[in-house]
Amino acid sequence: MHTGSRSLRAAAPQVPLRPVPLRPVVLRAAADAVPVVAAYVPFGLTLGATLAASGISPLVAWSSSPLLFGGAAQLLAVQLLGAGANVAVVVLGALVVNSRMLLYSASLAQHASGWSRRARWGGAYLLADPVYALAIGRFTKPDGGGDARLRLAYYLGVGATLWTAWMAITASGTLLAGVLPDGLRLDVAAPLTFLLLVLPMLTSRPAWAAAATGGLVAVAASGLPLGLGLLVGAAAGIAAGALVGGRRG
Amino acid sequence: MADLLVLVAIGVGTYLMRAAFLATAGARPPAVVTRLLQYVGPAVLAAIALPALVAPHGRVTSAETVPALLAAVVAGVLWRLTRSLPLALFGGLAAAWGVTWLLT
Repeated sequence: MHTGSRSLRAAAPQVPLRPVPLRPVVLRAAADAVPVVAAYVPFGLTLGATLAASGISPLVAWSSSPLLFGGAAQLLAVQLLGAGANVAVVVLGALVVNSRMLLYSASLAQHASGWSRRARWGGAYLLADPVYALAIGRFTKPDGGGDARLRLAYYLGVGATLWTAWMAITASGTLLAGVLPDGLRLDVAAPLTFLLLVLPMLTSRPAWAAAATGGLVAVAASGLPLGLGLLVGAAAGIAAGALVGGRRG
Repeated sequence: MADLLVLVAIGVGTYLMRAAFLATAGARPPAVVTRLLQYVGPAVLAAIALPALVAPHGRVTSAETVPALLAAVVAGVLWRLTRSLPLALFGGLAAAWGVTWLLT
């Protein structure tokens, strides 16, 4: 994609610029999303099976996929609901888990200034971890992923592909619950997926401090009532990151 | 029904957080917020992942903990070497599967 240089050359306002076709960008987005979809299959299947076994109605549990569109919060919310945890703890826990979306929102906004209001409000729904990772990976390349129109096409292409796949994978897991063999060790898939989400974030010492503290405190606090260990660990990790990062963080 | 309402509440809250800065493109969050937000991802995700790896199903047992931790190490090494999410994930799962098979 050399759209950046092309539009520079055509900077004179009167020169009609043939719009770059969107189709290749959307196809590229779908192709980029395929390996990520593959990596989410084990976690999605486990999550689906967990949803089905949670003790709340399977359809209600699965509705967390379109409602939340984020596996970590879905897993937490449905497990806590199934175990009869306090409703306030469930909502607070899931929102804390998803509060990283605020960061994604702020980060992506810097690349979305040319998008229409409708595109920004609509696109926000699709802003999950892998969608953000793929989009930001492309938008921070030298050509910036093309003009606003091409960036939106790419973002929506990735988002729609991953959304559709996630609905299908979690539904399959829900339907296949009990059929999947234990020997596959799919239960490891969920924490492994979260671990692989963390690793790319560990680009600085404060980030390491946040992750190490958050993880270790959560282990130490795992005896606390449902969901609280996570909250305590997360709070300790954020504090540790801010402490190590100091004022300049 | 109450469960569905809880999920809807979380869904609305999550959507509003996703839209917070994107919908008002250009508005930058305050510096303090940005500074704390960058640690939310690592802290929260590690706080979910580590307890589940150390004590799968809430218990530390050699039959569960060893394969899970080995899977984590293998996935971490593969990710560092290849930067490939699928490769690291399936490599880690294969390691867990292999050790479980050896131990039983």
